[in-house]
Amino acid sequence: MSGADLTQLDTVLEADVGIVGAGPGGMAAAARLAAAGVRVVVLDEGQRAGGQIYRQLPVGMHNHGVVQEPPSHDDGHNLIQSFEGHAKDGGEIELVRGATVWDAQPGRLWFEHDGVSRLLRCGHIVLAPGAYDRCIPFPGWTLPGVVTAGALQVMVRGFGVVPGKRALVVGSGPLLLPTVTSLLGAGVEVVAALEASSRMRALRAVPAVAFHAARRREAMWYMKQLWRNSVKLQWGWTVFACEGDGRVERAIIGKVDAHGRPRKGTERTIECDVVGAGFGLVPSIEVGMRLGADTHMLPVRGGHCLVVDGEQRTAVATVFAVGETCGIGGAEVASAEGELAAAAILRELRGTTVASAVVSRARAERRAADSMLGAFAPLPGLHDLARPDTIVCRCEDITRLRAQEAAAMHGDSMRAIKIGCRAGMGPCQARICGPSLQAMATGVNACAMDVPVVQVPLKPVSSETILTAPQ
Amino acid sequence: MTETADIVVIGGGIIGSSVVYQLAQLLDPSTRIVLCDRGPIAGATSSSCMGHLMVTPGNAQEYALTKTSVDLWRGLHEQLGGFDYNPTGALYLAESEEDIEMVPVLHQQFLDQGDQAEILDQKQLRDLEPGLAHDIPGALFYAGDGVVLPMLAAGAMLRGAQQRNPNVVVRPNCAVTGFQRDGDRIAAVVTEKSVIQTNTVVNACGVWTPGIGEMLGQPRVPIYPRAGNLAITGHHVSPIRTQLLEISYLRFAHAASDVDPTQTDRDAGGHAVNMQPQTNGGCLIGSTRQFRGMSKQVNRELLKRSLLRAHRYVPGVAQAPIIRSWVGLRPYSIDNHPLIGPWDPVPGFWIAAGHEGLGISMAPITGLLIAQQIAGITPSIDPTPYLPGRFAL
Repeated sequence: MSGADLTQLDTVLEADVGIVGAGPGGMAAAARLAAAGVRVVVLDEGQRAGGQIYRQLPVGMHNHGVVQEPPSHDDGHNLIQSFEGHAKDGGEIELVRGATVWDAQPGRLWFEHDGVSRLLRCGHIVLAPGAYDRCIPFPGWTLPGVVTAGALQVMVRGFGVVPGKRALVVGSGPLLLPTVTSLLGAGVEVVAALEASSRMRALRAVPAVAFHAARRREAMWYMKQLWRNSVKLQWGWTVFACEGDGRVERAIIGKVDAHGRPRKGTERTIECDVVGAGFGLVPSIEVGMRLGADTHMLPVRGGHCLVVDGEQRTAVATVFAVGETCGIGGAEVASAEGELAAAAILRELRGTTVASAVVSRARAERRAADSMLGAFAPLPGLHDLARPDTIVCRCEDITRLRAQEAAAMHGDSMRAIKIGCRAGMGPCQARICGPSLQAMATGVNACAMDVPVVQVPLKPVSSETILTAPQ
Repeated sequence: MTETADIVVIGGGIIGSSVVYQLAQLLDPSTRIVLCDRGPIAGATSSSCMGHLMVTPGNAQEYALTKTSVDLWRGLHEQLGGFDYNPTGALYLAESEEDIEMVPVLHQQFLDQGDQAEILDQKQLRDLEPGLAHDIPGALFYAGDGVVLPMLAAGAMLRGAQQRNPNVVVRPNCAVTGFQRDGDRIAAVVTEKSVIQTNTVVNACGVWTPGIGEMLGQPRVPIYPRAGNLAITGHHVSPIRTQLLEISYLRFAHAASDVDPTQTDRDAGGHAVNMQPQTNGGCLIGSTRQFRGMSKQVNRELLKRSLLRAHRYVPGVAQAPIIRSWVGLRPYSIDNHPLIGPWDPVPGFWIAAGHEGLGISMAPITGLLIAQQIAGITPSIDPTPYLPGRFAL
C-alpha cells in the first residue's frame, strides 16, 4: 500500500480555509487571506500555480521560443508573485500540486495526491475550479492533431511543445485570440483564424471592451499581433470537417449563418496539420454541486453555473465560489471575486469589514464580462456540423445517430440519452460531450440541457484511494 | 385525451420491457400495447444494477426459472443483439472455512440439476484468470452464466417488439396517476398525458409496485427497496475476463433476509464481492445489500468493504481508476421469490415484480410467463410458486 509509509499527520491536512484551484480566483483569495495571517491550503491539479490562463512551465523548464503575452498577463505575474511569496516555506499558503479533488463535504475535501489518498479539513472552502473546453463535434474532430484551445495552451505554454507546422484556429469568443498568439509564439504558422460569430453579432461586444480600459488595451494588443503576423480573423466562418490519413492533413471550412448553421456551397479546403478548436468554455461545477450549492442556467456564462450571493457565498454558509464556476467571465472576474470571497471570510474570522470598493470591483468586472460574452453565446446551429455517423461521445464511441435513437426510445432528458446508449458514461462522465450531447440527440437548443448528475468520485481516482480515504 | 389499448404495461424497466417484448411475440400484431414509465426507459433500477445472468441451482423450481431465463437471454442476443451479451461464465470464490465448505455443495447442486460445473485447483484457477490472487483456497467455475448491459437490453427488446408489432407504443416521462374502474374490473389507466381505456394492466414497477396497487385500493404487496452500492472502473483496465462472485453471495444476496425490511435504520448491511468484466474493458464492482428506504446516497463504508474484498481477490484492481459509484434499489420481496401473474382481487390486473438481485437474469422468463398467461397459452414452466396470490388476503 503506497500510503502505508505516510503517517496520519501527512494524509490529513488542516487549514482555516481550503481552496480548490490555483488560477486567478484561487490565487487572489489565497493571497488576501494569507496577508491577513489566515492559514490556507490550495489544491490544484496542475504542476504550478497560475491555472489555465496564467499557465507556467514546470520548474526548471524554459521555452526556446518567445511566447508573446498580452498586457493583462502583467496582472497575472503580480498575482503569481504575491501568491508564491506567501506559499514559500513557513508562509501561510500551502499549495498542493497535482491534487485531484474527488469528494467533498462542507469542511472536508478528499483528494488524491501522488497516488496517496488525502483529506483536507478546513473551516471555509473557496471553489475556484475553473472551466472545461466546450467541444462541438464535427466530422473528423477525433483525428489526431485536432485539439481544443485549452489543450493547445497546455501543450504550448505548459510544456513548451510545438504541436505542428501549419495551424487552423476555429471557434468562437475571446479565447480564439490567445490561441492564435500562443501558436505564433511557438513558431507555428497560423493559416487561418475563423470566428463563427458574425461581425455584426460581435459588434455587441464593442461597448463592453471600449469602455473597459484593460480590455480595450488587451484587444488592441491582440489585433496588433494578428496584423503583424498577417493573420486575418474571418467572421462568420468555421470548420465543417477535418480529413487525413491517421491524422489531420486538411480541413474543410465554410461560412455559417447567424445561428451558426453551415451554409452549403461555401466550402473550401485548407491544408493544415493542427486544428485548434475553441468554442468557448463550460463552468466546472461538480465540486460545488457535491457540496450542496445551487445551480442555475445562464447561457451567456456558458451553461449551468453555481449560484452565489453578493459576497460569493453559495447556499452552503461555509462554501464560497469564484470565477468560472459561477459562470464564464475570465481572469479579471475571477481575481476580483476571489478577493471579495476572501474579504467576506475575513469578516467572519477577523471581524474586518468588506470594503465597498472590493464589492463594486467584482460587480463591475462581472457586468463587463457578461456584456462582452453575450456577443459570443453558444451558436445552436453549430450542432448541425455533426453528421449521423460522427462520434459525439469519445469515451464510449457513440455516434450522433445512436444518441438520437436513444433519445427517441428512452426519453429526451440527458439521463435518458446516457442510459439509452451509454454516451457520457465513460471516464469523462459527460464533462466533454455533455454540453452538446442533449442538443444533438434531441434537436433542442444547446442551452436547455439538464443539470448534470454528480457522482463520486468527482474525477477518476484509484480504487485504493477510495478504500484508504481518511475520515 | 382518451385513447384505448388492449394492454397497458406500467414500468419501463427490464421487466416491463421484457413483458412488452414477449406480448408482441405471442399476440397478433394488431394488439395495441402501451408501455408507460414516469421517467426514462430503464431509468431506475435497471440502469443502476449489475448485469448478471445467473443460474441458481438450489432447487429444481429455482433452477427451472433461472436456467430457462438465461437460455432465453442467449436467444435474445441472437435475435436482437446490441446489449453487450457476454457469456463469461461465473467463477465462485471461497476464502472462509464456511465458504470453502460450500464449494462442493454448490458443485453437487449443479450436478443434481443435470448441469455441469468444475471445482478448480490453484493451477487451473490461475490458468483461467491470471489476474486473481495466488492464494484463493476454493473455486468453482460454472460456464452457463453471463453478463449483459441491462439498459441497452431494455431498449433492444422494445425495438424488437415494435418491429414485430407496430402498435406497440413506448411512453417515457409519462407517470400513471390513477385508474378508472368498472365494478371490480379496471376500465382505464389515467396518466399525465392521457386516459387509456383498457381492461388489462401489468404492474412492473419494481420497488414502486406497491404504490401502483394502492391506487387501486389494494393492500401493499410486500416488496421493499434493498440498496446496493456499486462502483465501475475506466476502460481497458479490467484484470479479469470472467465474472467473479464470492460464494457467500448466494447465501447473503439470494436468500430471504433475517432483517425486517421495514426497519430502515436498523440494517447494518452486508456485502459479498461480485465483479463483472465489461466489453469496453472496464470492471463493475459490487455488491452490497442494505434496507434503508428509498435513499440513493452511496454508503461509503459499505462500498469500501466490497472494494476491500475486490482487492483481496484481484489485487490489480486496486490501482484501477474508479470513474463512478452509485446506489441501485433492488425490489426485494419478503419471501425472496418474484411476483409473476394475475392479482386476483382485481380482474385484469397483473404483477411482474419483486425480483431483488435477479431481475436481469429473470426478465425473459418473467415476460414470457406473463405473456403466455395473458394469451391463454400453457406456461413454459410451472408459474404456481410465483403467483402474487400468495400475498392476497
